[in-house]
Amino acid sequence: MKVALLSESPADETALRGLVAAVLKQPPKFVGPGYRARGWPNVAQLLPAVLRHLHFNTDTDVLVTVVDSDDSVVHTAAHDAPGYFHPHCRMCQLRAVYRQTTKRLPPAHGRARVIRAVGVAVPAIEAWYLGGRDATVSEAAWIAGQEAGAQPYSRAELKWRVYGTDRPSLAHETECALREIARLNGDVRRLEFDFPGFAAVAADLRAGLRLNNS
Amino acid sequence: MDNTLNRTHVGAVIASIAFQNFKALRNTRVALTPFNLVIGPNGSGKTSLMEAMLRLRTLSKLPLSDATGIQKSGGPEIEFRFTAPHDAIVARMGCVSDVQCDTLRIEPATAPSWPALRTDIGTIRSYVLDHRAMAEAAKRSAGADLQGDGGNLAAVLFQLRANAPAAFAGLTAELLRILPEFRAIELTEAGDEHVALALRLVENGLVPAEGLSQGILYLLGVLALAFDPEPPRVLCIEEPDRGIHPRMLREIRDALYRLSYPEAFGAQRRPVQIVTSTHSPYFIDLFRDHPDEVVISQKKGRAAEFGRLSDRADLAELLREGSLGDMWFSGILGGVPEER
Repeated sequence: MKVALLSESPADETALRGLVAAVLKQPPKFVGPGYRARGWPNVAQLLPAVLRHLHFNTDTDVLVTVVDSDDSVVHTAAHDAPGYFHPHCRMCQLRAVYRQTTKRLPPAHGRARVIRAVGVAVPAIEAWYLGGRDATVSEAAWIAGQEAGAQPYSRAELKWRVYGTDRPSLAHETECALREIARLNGDVRRLEFDFPGFAAVAADLRAGLRLNNS
Repeated sequence: MDNTLNRTHVGAVIASIAFQNFKALRNTRVALTPFNLVIGPNGSGKTSLMEAMLRLRTLSKLPLSDATGIQKSGGPEIEFRFTAPHDAIVARMGCVSDVQCDTLRIEPATAPSWPALRTDIGTIRSYVLDHRAMAEAAKRSAGADLQGDGGNLAAVLFQLRANAPAAFAGLTAELLRILPEFRAIELTEAGDEHVALALRLVENGLVPAEGLSQGILYLLGVLALAFDPEPPRVLCIEEPDRGIHPRMLREIRDALYRLSYPEAFGAQRRPVQIVTSTHSPYFIDLFRDHPDEVVISQKKGRAAEFGRLSDRADLAELLREGSLGDMWFSGILGGVPEER
């Protein structure tokens, strides 16, 4: 299976490669170079062009897109109801962009469309890195904080916990990302439980694998 | 009103600079933090800010003026305030014109810590890197400090390799990580006690400095500053992002952060206060999480004023709608050219 990544930084891309391989139980063929966006909402703005490029100019099977939620509305099971769309939820927004872009494209390279795999790290990808080693960090804790009006941690605090500084170099960020992904040892069950925004991209990837193998 | 003026900043030397009738800086004050990225239109005082700091360095090495030495006739004046332990000292620079500042007065005149502060001020350096100068061979003995245009880059690297091999190894490792097509920095004899710079390709070819791209030379210059084992206390550098691919700008920011926040890089030395500038929205994007480090220079007619991005109350809301660079380019944040 050929997988393309649309991420916000080279460190994120390194982490996503490891996570995709862990979900699929084997490293796929990654399409390079990785596609890069300049944070939100640039990801959503760029996504249609990346999808069209991958669809017509490559034989990519899956496009993985992962963004940070920052302070936006967190995706919940209620958003998955048929026909529901939350205008301030980044998961809903990215899925809508996929849907609207791919439905207009004719088949190409022997497949109907590039398969969607969307994840949202709540509130940032550093939370995923802490999955399984810091019990206070989870999507549920963040949502509870949003509801209470007092977040349990800030994005800067998460950086401190992962990198030991809120100004990590790119090299240090990448090194830490690799270390934390290696710590999972290929087992992403806890990560999926604590972070439904990760479980969503994992589910998309597995569905894509089944489709690709059928 | 810039409400950062009274904040203390570990690592900063200069706390604030106030300008009166100095070029476009007619009546404005800027509070400085350990790291300062100045953005604004052309002619809005970014270079003047750095020039003022260089003039402070120059005048601090000369005998001080007494109270009557300062211009009283409405000539430009620049007032410097400092961080602890020098926060009781005020330095006032008097200028005859925009291009001639020739008096410096210290208050109190007998401040006991002035000699120590003067030593720090004496290390202020300012850079506008020039790739043509950087590509030239340099006299081996002229490599103590990188020149303002980077013209002695080869000699600086030569002396770093000889005198601080660990720092040279760190610089080399960083360069090769960023540019994996190379495998070594080579410094070769160029006759008449000169040394020339070249980079060895992984596939073994040698690219002489004059064959390197502007961006690679600028990157080397910034890394030479970042890995200087005895850096200045204050460093000004104009547009360090010039010639650099947008995807590599993070590496430039990291190199400058290495100077300003050494503890974040595991280095045990005093921080360097940085004042830098850019016109690149992509570079500005990298400061989204640290708006306190961004100074916006706003030009109104022929006069310019400084303000801190972090003083913008609605910044968090704005950043939900777009990137920091896009917000700046749009004009919402100010710091854009006036149009008629």
